[in-house]
Amino acid sequence: MSELIEGKPGQRYLLMGNQAIARGALEAGVSVAAGYPGTPSSEIIENLAKVADEANMYVEWSSNEKVAAEVAAAASFAGLRSLCVMKQNGVNVASDFLLHLVGGGTRGGMVIVPCDDPGALSSINEGESRHFARMLEIPLLEPGDFQEAKDMVKWAFELSEQIGNLVMLRSVTRLSHASGSVKLGALPENRPRARFRHGGFVLDPQEGAVTSAPVAYKHVLQQEKLEKAESLFEDCPFNTYTGPENPELLVITSSACNLYCREAIEILGVSDRAGLLKLGTTWPLPKKLIRTHLENCSKVLVVEEVIPFLEENLKVLAAELAMEIGPRTIFAKRDKTIPSVGEMNPDYVIAALVKIFDLSYEAAPADYVEKAGLCVMAGAPGRDLTFCPGCPHRASYWTLHNVLALDNRDGFICGDIGCYSLGMRETGYYALKTMHAMGSGTGLASGFGKLDQFGMDQPIVAVSGDSTFFHSVIPALVNAVHYNADITLVVFDNSGTAMTGFQPHPGLEVDAMGHDAPSIDIESVCRAVGAQTTVCDPFDMELTRDILLEKITGKNGVQVLIFKQSCALSPEKKGKPRYEMHLDENICIGENCGCNKLCTRVFKCPGLNWDEKNQHARIDEVICAGCGVCASVCPTGAITKKERA
Amino acid sequence: MQIYGPGELLDDVLQTGLCISCGACVHLCPYFATWRGKTAMMFSCDRKQGRCHAFCPKTEVDLDQLSSKANNADYTGAPMGAYQQVFMARAGDKSGGGDFQDGGTVSALVRFALETGRIDAAVLTGRNGLMPSPGLVTHSGEVAAFAGSKYTAAPTLVSLNDGIKQGYGRMGVVGTPCQMTAVAQMRSNPMQDSDFSDPVALTIGLFCTWALDARGLLAFMEKRAPEEEILKIRIPPPPAGILVLETQSRTIEIPLDDIRSLVPEGCRVCPDMTAEWADVSVGAMEGEDGWNTLVVRSEKGLKLAEDAASAGYIVLADFPETSLSHLNTAAAAKKKRAFDRACSQGLVNTEKGGRAVLRVNKQALEKMISEPGGIHE
Amino acid sequence: MTAAANLLSDPFNLVITGVGGQGNVLASRVLGSMLTQKGYSVTIGETFGASQRGGSVMSHLRISSKGTWSPQIPKGRAHVVVSLEPTEALRVLYEYGNPDVYVLCNTRPVHSIAVISGQFKYPEQDELRQWIRDLSAKAWFLEATGAAMAMGNAIFANIMMIGALSAADILPVDKDTFKDAVSNMMAADKVSVNCDAFARGADMLLAEGISGA
Ligand SMILES: Cc1cc2nc3c(=O)[nH]c(=O)nc-3n(C[C@H](O)[C@H](O)[C@H](O)COP(=O)(O)OP(=O)(O)OC[C@H]3O[C@@H](n4cnc5c(N)ncnc54)[C@H](O)[C@@H]3O)c2cc1C
Ligand code: SF4
Ligand code: SF4
Ligand code: SF4
Ligand code: SF4
Repeated sequence: MSELIEGKPGQRYLLMGNQAIARGALEAGVSVAAGYPGTPSSEIIENLAKVADEANMYVEWSSNEKVAAEVAAAASFAGLRSLCVMKQNGVNVASDFLLHLVGGGTRGGMVIVPCDDPGALSSINEGESRHFARMLEIPLLEPGDFQEAKDMVKWAFELSEQIGNLVMLRSVTRLSHASGSVKLGALPENRPRARFRHGGFVLDPQEGAVTSAPVAYKHVLQQEKLEKAESLFEDCPFNTYTGPENPELLVITSSACNLYCREAIEILGVSDRAGLLKLGTTWPLPKKLIRTHLENCSKVLVVEEVIPFLEENLKVLAAELAMEIGPRTIFAKRDKTIPSVGEMNPDYVIAALVKIFDLSYEAAPADYVEKAGLCVMAGAPGRDLTFCPGCPHRASYWTLHNVLALDNRDGFICGDIGCYSLGMRETGYYALKTMHAMGSGTGLASGFGKLDQFGMDQPIVAVSGDSTFFHSVIPALVNAVHYNADITLVVFDNSGTAMTGFQPHPGLEVDAMGHDAPSIDIESVCRAVGAQTTVCDPFDMELTRDILLEKITGKNGVQVLIFKQSCALSPEKKGKPRYEMHLDENICIGENCGCNKLCTRVFKCPGLNWDEKNQHARIDEVICAGCGVCASVCPTGAITKKERA
Repeated sequence: MQIYGPGELLDDVLQTGLCISCGACVHLCPYFATWRGKTAMMFSCDRKQGRCHAFCPKTEVDLDQLSSKANNADYTGAPMGAYQQVFMARAGDKSGGGDFQDGGTVSALVRFALETGRIDAAVLTGRNGLMPSPGLVTHSGEVAAFAGSKYTAAPTLVSLNDGIKQGYGRMGVVGTPCQMTAVAQMRSNPMQDSDFSDPVALTIGLFCTWALDARGLLAFMEKRAPEEEILKIRIPPPPAGILVLETQSRTIEIPLDDIRSLVPEGCRVCPDMTAEWADVSVGAMEGEDGWNTLVVRSEKGLKLAEDAASAGYIVLADFPETSLSHLNTAAAAKKKRAFDRACSQGLVNTEKGGRAVLRVNKQALEKMISEPGGIHE
Repeated sequence: MTAAANLLSDPFNLVITGVGGQGNVLASRVLGSMLTQKGYSVTIGETFGASQRGGSVMSHLRISSKGTWSPQIPKGRAHVVVSLEPTEALRVLYEYGNPDVYVLCNTRPVHSIAVISGQFKYPEQDELRQWIRDLSAKAWFLEATGAAMAMGNAIFANIMMIGALSAADILPVDKDTFKDAVSNMMAADKVSVNCDAFARGADMLLAEGISGA
């Protein structure tokens, strides 16, 4: 979006939370930004990458989050401001480095932005990053709206430089992926020159070597930095209070929950009874500020998502203060006033307030809700996620599923993270049987592959996306080869990080900023580590099946099969169907024995439809992407394809 | 005969180990496929009734229905089924020779049928290493390549289904008794398809006491002889009790007791030793190497044997009485074993909606399970 | 930027719903920019993950002269539902509807795999319309996808629905605001066809009658 760099200071723009964060980084004069794609974080790097040349920045999609953190830290060591960005799971990956980094400290301001996904809207766990701030003993900031998402970034950089350590700024899906009005600030003119100073006294934080040792000494320094941050938090402008001086109930919250609380208080009309303390700095908690507010009320409601982080930290403070100010009643997650899993919304806060204040509230008339509920049951069939029409994964899983069925030894697939995780669901024929972290499919397969000693005779297949391959499959693959595990790794090479919107990865000839870059060939990597490697096109289903059958039969050590076919949504394919598809209604045998609707009932490409009235399948020309695959699926030859001019 | 769908086939046959991998259900539709000697169901097909179930020789086989179709009478339980005549036979001078299992009668009859236009294609079973590999043959010159018995369960009938798709309408099928049962059921048009026409013009059954699981045999042999070196497998008639493996360099004898565990469950409930539903049935000839036992059942089979003999494709000779008695004893013993086992598992004439493997009239059943040694007609 | 005119309610809550791939997100961005230009403070909440993968996709627009609101509309508080797919309208009404809500509905069904595979039956059009009418104060049914295909690409249905909304006299937006907004968002060669789609949508609504059904 052009306003990211062309927007006029002082003007308001409708920005997505991630854009606001990116703009904040630009306003802070960040020089280097690195990340790994992951919903809901991706647009931050994406937007910065687009303007990198104009803004004189360096922006990269690193091969994984740990590398991203390292790349960003290098810039910091050289005196530049740097940003690293990832989704919540990425912090787990980066944490090994981060724990070392924070012990040694940073130089140029460095901010890590994890985007958490409460409710796991696009994740497979609800893990969150706030507790990492506590573990890493670094300050944690949480923007409470879109304006703050921008403004806090700049503040975070300043804080980082003031204390000489990493600062975490945590966003969540409902900020990152929501949009709101943001008033822009000015962009800086110049950036510092990069120089890593290492010739000074070894313990000098600005001139010496950078490391977390000697630990006892550095750890003390690190905690002093945290104490300094806490004292700065006491009058941080992002901690705000609205409400009566002595409220009946003090609501303490942070992040997107701020907006939910505000709205709930307004809807229930209890602004004269409930005060809202919105914290922008949630670790360490500013003790004096909290004390002031606790002194003025006896009941507290803590509203937050996922783990009771704020609640527990607050309770520690409350316990410490109890002798002086007396005990406080705290409603939160542990007493179930607030749900302990899933994301929050205004209605949960309304429910909590209704309970505490003993009010009554009806979102919509009960008879309306009942009627609507019946209509949904009768009239709104579920919409499970599916692979897109023309998606290579559908063809790939069709073949994988059929090959394992044919093989008849109860083989299974260890899955991984990406679009192809949908292989666990109907659209992937339930072919995936394990799904964990990035790269775990291959690691698990490597382990399964050694269980033949204990009588296991099932074929083992792992799958990985191309981006995942670079992220963390390589070490697992090396392990499997070295220990001669009998496994087949299928790499779905669809030429991009499709799940999160086509970010480039090291296998492509272009980098995040759109510059030419040397590509790393997956096939060569696999061969180089000693795996027998074959490349094929999953749309050529017969050949793919035969190769795969051969690979999983017998004990052959690590076999790699690279399925090369780009994503249906990739820029080179989208809107450009390869084939004109035709379905001959006279040949289609539909529900009869010999087919029984294989294409619609089982294969289930959304481009196909069942015509109930005329009892035959149809191609839905609005949806069909013209990939031609269903022509290979139909057993009667009713579906045919013709290459488009 | 009761017809169910693929769900029941999965429950009753594929998942119970009764499947003999005959291939009758394979390629009827995309749901069934065969790979390395095993039949697999790829996805479930929700149909309540299907040809897959109707053709399968390991579920809901109604012997009386088969018998009334073939012989216009209820099943009698006679050890060798209904037949007209038994001969000693072997390939004649016109047969072209070959590396036959026994007398080469089967290969010779197939050649003759092809050359005289009695059939337009033949469904035969070759091998690829130790894996059986069915094929469809249209030229008599190709027949010899399929000679020799593969003592493994084979998906032979895939080639029949493929032949139908390719438009052949007068095919000859060579197969084991279970395969002949499937073919007979298929030819009776059990689903009453309106556009059905019988694609089979000749059936040549092979005698069979049991077959081995192909994958099991391969794994068993792995340690004994390289797959690609195996030239021929023989099972000399009792009381030898061995399986003989001829390789390029040596001959290996394996006691049958060592491989009995490789016999699939499907064979253990199979009551048919002499391929009762074929036009002719062919087996080894006791005590006469290089000859076959030839059982002629139908008019068509008799005419074929006579014509082939007078054309010099096969040579016929009288069948010795003592051999017939031995044959009957062996066939009756197989029936008793099979029905005893099937009955004990509740798989015969199951009532109240329960599904059976075999159905047969009471009298015949009594007879089969009460005649331990088998008695002559 | 003009000063924000009065809204029927403040915040005014609008849901745009549809199925992944229908251009829901673009529609909400366009409408959001149009209203931002008009001086309103707009908050948009989106569900993204399913956006390209056949799942239900919903955008919540909060339009206000007072500031930022929760990106999730509280239950039962939608004022307008713009639905790119009829059964999705039902799903949204169940959660966010109320007897006073207005619905603009594209009538073209998008079958989910549960329907394609025969596990569920897609409801009849008449039935669907009746249900939506029963659950709303006003409802308009437009065959936007058909009209979009006549223009050469089904994807224009999203813009047509925004055009229709502009004609329904609910929000202070018109084709000029639209043109300004898309000129900032799209390549120049796409602007005119999108303006056509917008106008076509407005015409379709007027043909249905401003008072809905
Ligand atoms: C599994 C099996 C078990 C047998 N058990 C006995 C037995 O117990 N007693 C007995 O007397 N005879 C048995 N036979 C028959 C015997 O081995 C000979 O096949 C028969 O005598 C015919 O000999 P031939 O020389 O005429 O055959 P050939 O002229 O050599 O022709 C053999 C024919 O058998 C077919 N064939 C080979 N293997 C198979 C298979 N697995 N499934 C279907 N068709 C196949 C081929 O298509 C070929 O046309 C068995 C055969 C098989 C396949
Ligand atoms: S797979 Fe072919 S024959 Fe079967 S329903 Fe689809 S189009 Fe018809
Ligand atoms: S060609 Fe067939 S498989 Fe491919 S998108 Fe169209 S309907 Fe789906
Ligand atoms: S019923 Fe017909 S289509 Fe279904 S599995 Fe059986 S043979 Fe195939
Ligand atoms: S015995 Fe034959 S027909 Fe029956 S399931 Fe097995 S392969 Fe199919």
